[in-house]
Parts: sequence; structure tokens; C-alpha cells
Amino acid sequence: MTIGVTINSLPVINSSTSMYRDFGTSFIFVLIGIILVAVPLLLQRILSPRRKTAEKMSTYECGEDVEGPAWVKFNIRFYVIALIFIIFDVEVVFLFPWAVVYKELGLFAFVEMMIFLGILALGLAYVWRKGDLEWVKYSVPYGRGRYRKLTIIEETPASPAPAPQETAA
Amino acid sequence: MVDLNTYLVIGALLFSLGIFGVITRRNGVAVLMGVELILNAANVNFVAFARFGGMDLSGHIFSLFVIILAAAEAAVALAIILNIYNNMGTINIDEADQLKQ
Amino acid sequence: MGNIQSISYFLPELMVIATVVVALIADLVYSDRNSYKVGYLVIAGLVVASFTLWLSLPEETTPIFLNTIVVDPFSRIFKFVFLLATFIVVLMSMNSDELKGVRTGEYYTLMAAMVLGMSLMASSVDLIMVYLSIEIVSIISFILAGYLRAQVRSNEAALKYVIYGAFSSGLMLYGLSLLYGLTGTTKLFQLSGSISSLGPGSNLTLTVSTILMLAGFGYKVAIVPFHFWTPDVYEGAPTPVTAYLSVAPKAAGFALLIRFFNTLFGTGQPLNSPVWQAMEGVPWQDILMVLAAVTMTVGNLVAIQQKNIKRLLAYSSIAHAGYILMGVPVLSQEGVYAIVFYIIVYLFMQLGAFSLAIVVSNRYGTEIIEEYSGIGWKSPYLGFFMAVFMFSLTGIPPTAGFIGKMYLFAALINGGSQFYWLAIIGVLNSVISLYYYMRVVKVMYFQGGREKDLYVPGGMSAAIVLAMAIPSIYFGVRWSFLADWVNSSLKFFIAGF
Repeated sequence: MTIGVTINSLPVINSSTSMYRDFGTSFIFVLIGIILVAVPLLLQRILSPRRKTAEKMSTYECGEDVEGPAWVKFNIRFYVIALIFIIFDVEVVFLFPWAVVYKELGLFAFVEMMIFLGILALGLAYVWRKGDLEWVKYSVPYGRGRYRKLTIIEETPASPAPAPQETAA
Repeated sequence: MVDLNTYLVIGALLFSLGIFGVITRRNGVAVLMGVELILNAANVNFVAFARFGGMDLSGHIFSLFVIILAAAEAAVALAIILNIYNNMGTINIDEADQLKQ
Repeated sequence: MGNIQSISYFLPELMVIATVVVALIADLVYSDRNSYKVGYLVIAGLVVASFTLWLSLPEETTPIFLNTIVVDPFSRIFKFVFLLATFIVVLMSMNSDELKGVRTGEYYTLMAAMVLGMSLMASSVDLIMVYLSIEIVSIISFILAGYLRAQVRSNEAALKYVIYGAFSSGLMLYGLSLLYGLTGTTKLFQLSGSISSLGPGSNLTLTVSTILMLAGFGYKVAIVPFHFWTPDVYEGAPTPVTAYLSVAPKAAGFALLIRFFNTLFGTGQPLNSPVWQAMEGVPWQDILMVLAAVTMTVGNLVAIQQKNIKRLLAYSSIAHAGYILMGVPVLSQEGVYAIVFYIIVYLFMQLGAFSLAIVVSNRYGTEIIEEYSGIGWKSPYLGFFMAVFMFSLTGIPPTAGFIGKMYLFAALINGGSQFYWLAIIGVLNSVISLYYYMRVVKVMYFQGGREKDLYVPGGMSAAIVLAMAIPSIYFGVRWSFLADWVNSSLKFFIAGF
């Protein structure tokens, strides 16, 4: 049975055809959407004049000149923060089912969840202590270990940068 | 008004696309995206079976665990890829071939 | 059994968890230079966990934590294997030059966490637990393989590992979802009942799902179509990690494989012959037999061409996975018994060979077999024990490897005439493996100058080598103690509850 046929039988209230009716409605909706976009595009293609000059082909015709590729590199710190966020964010999913039934489960479930959260908090403390939450890496206690390279650059005497505040590890 | 088969077909499509992505892509991150598609295909299956199959809640619980493990796995994998990029300047998995004689 | 009552059965694992937490906190306090001290904490924790495990003597299979995991003698013996392997590898890591100069606090903590994952693998009877435990072990393995972050080799090993690992666990998960859809439960014991009541119409789905799950297990134990990651990862990872990965997760994978397939396709009787007949028309035994044959043949043939000792041991570990897999399709108590015995023996000889490779690499700075020339004369200690481990890995009497292989072949022969060809292939493979194992010994003794500097490695390294060599020989002469212990631990299968 094609969709077109079903649309013709729209007034018939029938549970077996109601799926087709639902789909038929959205199909018409999609169709109208496509037409509304396609027709103006087609019209301007037929009607508008086209003269390709270098100026016309640039990204911002009456704005700034584009420099560099569109694929800019983000600072790597964003990735680290994002990774840490993802981990802690997703663990929260366990809290939802627990919260729904927590009154029925009683004290034991509460203690269980607190242990779970405690271990999560330990993870957070770990990340914090290792300096992965710091934006400026060389001021953390472990600057010498994990972010050793950063400190070495700052330590060179010829460097014009202000001396880093080295916390004694 | 969508039945179990629809979800299973979607799951199978996602699964196939994921395998296709893993096999054809050379970019490490794109391969991981393929893997995520496979995991989510399984998730769709689990939830669909649990919802329409008249089964217990374990399908839903399974999918929760899958989501979390997928996040953990992705975090570790991205950290490894980031490290590769720092050392080799590429995330193309074909160019990581120092270990073949 | 409910959660509160379960805790008393879960003590060894709780000890491991406590070790992880304490090690993590300690690592926050220690400075870089003292970070290795976390290793001592982990060792102490493992000893305590082994002690609690020793005190717990499960008479029968007890399901705990709402029937997600079980405590039984079968998982107990595997937990001992994991604890022992981790204990040795932590000691090996402390004496490895590769890990000098990197912060190792997290390294030891991760190893302790891996023990937890592997214990769960050996004892899980719920699909969720199966997947969860496999992922715990996998994710930690990825990190450990790439632990030397400044080394391109280590990075690359981790990259290959994570891509193959994530892919195959995804395949397995899809297989598990189909299985759940067919049966409507995630509990292994209920699954086996549901599967046997399925009609022939679902045979195709069941076959597809089982093949997908086999991909996940096969990746963990590195059997042949799923072994491509093994050589690269084993070569690139730090040597102690390679030693660890080639023993402990492999043992866990086999524990899971045995429990999973025996429970799933079992028809109720404990480990008796027509066990996997639930899937009629699908020749499961033949497939596994072919896989075993192909695995050991490929592993051995490729190992012949290897120049790097780590790569050689990697391919040899693939071959050993093939030998162990021979015991699975026999489906008898004897087959499982031979597998467990072989895994324990394999632990000693494989870890011993790797610990020797570490000592050689520390002292002579090489992993290339050709450059081992003359080491047998320079350091008789290293030369003699390398010969012992190589003999044992080949399976030459009077070493433990011979007894392990003997049990496996005996299980095959007693299994029936359809297994004879597999036994013959196994014997032929042992002969092939003789060539490349003996090449190492030959290079050490018959090539290069014979100058003597009589090098004996430092206390702890020498002790580890010795501690691995003694069982490798002792169990070749008197194995009844080990055999009795393994035999008493195999009453793990029960029909359902």
C-alpha cells in the first residue's frame, strides 16, 4: 500500500492505517518544506546574472580578507578539560535511577551511593592535585613532573617572560 | 506507532555504518566515531528489546552501563590519540607504523 | 543473595578495592621521586587479598550480589593466578630500567585495579557484569600499554590496542544485545534455559550473536582471526606490561570463555559431553577445533621469522593460546582441568622468559635475538635459566611445560577419535616451536665470543628469575600437588537456581 493511497483515505479512523496517516502528514510536511526551499533556489539560478570575479568569490565580499585555513587548532587545554568533564558528567547517570527509588531502598542504598560518590570525589581530587584543572600549568606542585617541559621553558635565563612562581614541591 | 522491527533495523544500520567507518577511515578520531556508532547500535537494540519485548529492566540498565563505559573508553582513546599527535604530528593510523619491520 | 549478605563473600575483591583507593591517595601525597613506593603498598595489598582469598573456601557455587557474580572454586583458582601474576609483575616493574624516570604511582595503582577487573571476569554470570569486567580490564590495558608517554613505540602500541580493543568489544556488545533480545534476560543461568527452549527459527540469530561474542573473547585471548594487535602491542608496550598482558588478561579471558560457553550452551549436566548440543546443526566443536589449530600454527610459523625477543614471545603467546584453546571443544572435565593446569604452568614460564628479557635489556641494552650472542658464556646464570624457560615453553621433559601439554593431549585423546587430528597438529606445532625456542638458546651459547664477565643480576631480579624457574622445573617432576589443587577446583558448574 503506497502512502498516496492512504492519504486519500484520511477520513477513515482506523487504527491499522493511523500509522500511515501519521507518516503521510509528516511526508506532506517534508514535501512542502523541500518545495519551499527548492523553488526559490531554482528561480534565482534561472533569473540572476552571474559574473565571477575574484572579489565576488571571496568568503566575505565586503568584509575582511580571510586569512589562514578554517581548521584552526584549539588550545590543547580545552581537550583535557573536556575529557575530565565528560567522565564526571556521565557518571551522574547512575544518580537518576537511584534518586527515583531511593526512598524504598533505604539507608543501605544511601550508603552505597555515598561510597560511589566518595570514589568519584577521590578521582576529582586526583585530577585537581595533578594540576589538570589548572589553566596555567607551571604553578602547580607537580609542575616538575607531568608538565616538566613547561617549567623548563620558563626556567631558561634568557627568557624575557616573568619568572614563574615556583611553589616548592 | 513504531514497532520493534523499526528499531532493530535502525540498530543494524548504525552497526553497519560503524563497521564501515572503522574499516575505511584512516583518521584515528573518525575510527573512534565508528566504534561509538557500533556501541550505540547495541544500545538501541537493548532499549528496544526491553521496551517492546516485554522484558525486565536489565536492557535499560545495560544501556546505562554501555554509555558510561563508552565515555570512559573514548576519554582514554582520545588521550592516547592526543599523545600520538604530540609525538608524531599526525593522527593517521596508517602512519603509525614504527613497529613493523 | 542480597547485597548486604554478599559482602562477606566478596572480601578478597574488597581488599583489592581498598588497595586501589589507598594507593591512589598515597600517590597524591608522594612526590615524583618517591612515587615508586606506591608499588610496595600495592604488593602489601595483594598479599592481604591473597590471604583473605586463601581463607575463603567456597564449597559450592554461591551467587552473590543479586546473581550477578558467583563465588566458586573455579573462580578462586583463577583469582590466585591473577594475584600471583600481578605480584610478580609489580616486582619486575620495580627492577626494570624502562620505567626509571617516569612517575610510576599510577602504574601500580592501575595494576591493582586490573586485578579487580580480572577477578570479576572470572566470576561474572551476568551479561552486564561480563561486559563491565572486560571493559575494566581493556581500558586499563590501553593505559598501561601506552604508559611511556614520551616514547613513540609505546604510543603506537596503545593506539593499535585501543582501536582493536574498542572495535572488538563493540562487536561483542552487539552480539550480547542480540542474545538479550532472543532470551529476555541477562543472567547466564536463565539464558541457558531460554536458549535450549528456542526453536530452530532463531538459529541464525543465535549463530550471528555467538560469532560476534567470540570476536570479543577471541580478542582478549588473542586467537587467530582476532590476533592482529598482539605483536605490535607486545613489542611497543613496556616489557613488564607485555609480560603482564600476555599472561593475566589471557587467563581471565579463558576463564570467562569457559564459564560463558559452558553455562550458555550447557544442558544442565556438569561438563558432560553433549554440552553444546543446544545449537543443533551448528558445528561449534569443529569451529573451535579449527580455530585452535589455525591459531597455534599461525603463531608458531610467524614466530620463526621474528628477530625481536618481545615479538617472538608475543607470537609464541598466540601459539600457546592455541594450545589452551584445544582443551575447550573437548567439553569434558578433563579438558577444563588441562586448561587450568596449563595456564598456571604457562604463567611461570612466560613471566620467567620476560623477566629474563628485562634483565638482559637492562644489562646489555638489546631486545634483538641476534645480539644475545655469547650471553650464555658471559653470564651463565642468565643463559641457564633462559634455556630452562625455553625448554619449558617448548614442552620438553622434565619441565612443567611438558606436563601441561601432556594433560592437554591426554584430554584430546580421551575425548574421542574426532579429536585425534587436533592432537597430531598440536604435536607437530610443538616440533615447529622447538626450532625458534632453541634458536634463542643456540645464539646465547654457540654464537659470539666466549669472554666471561660472570654477570649475575642484582638481588631482586635474580630472585624473580629463580622464583619463576623453580616451579617451571619442579612441576615437571612432581606435579601431583598442583594437579590435586586444580582438580578440586573444578566443581563450578551447576544447573541453575
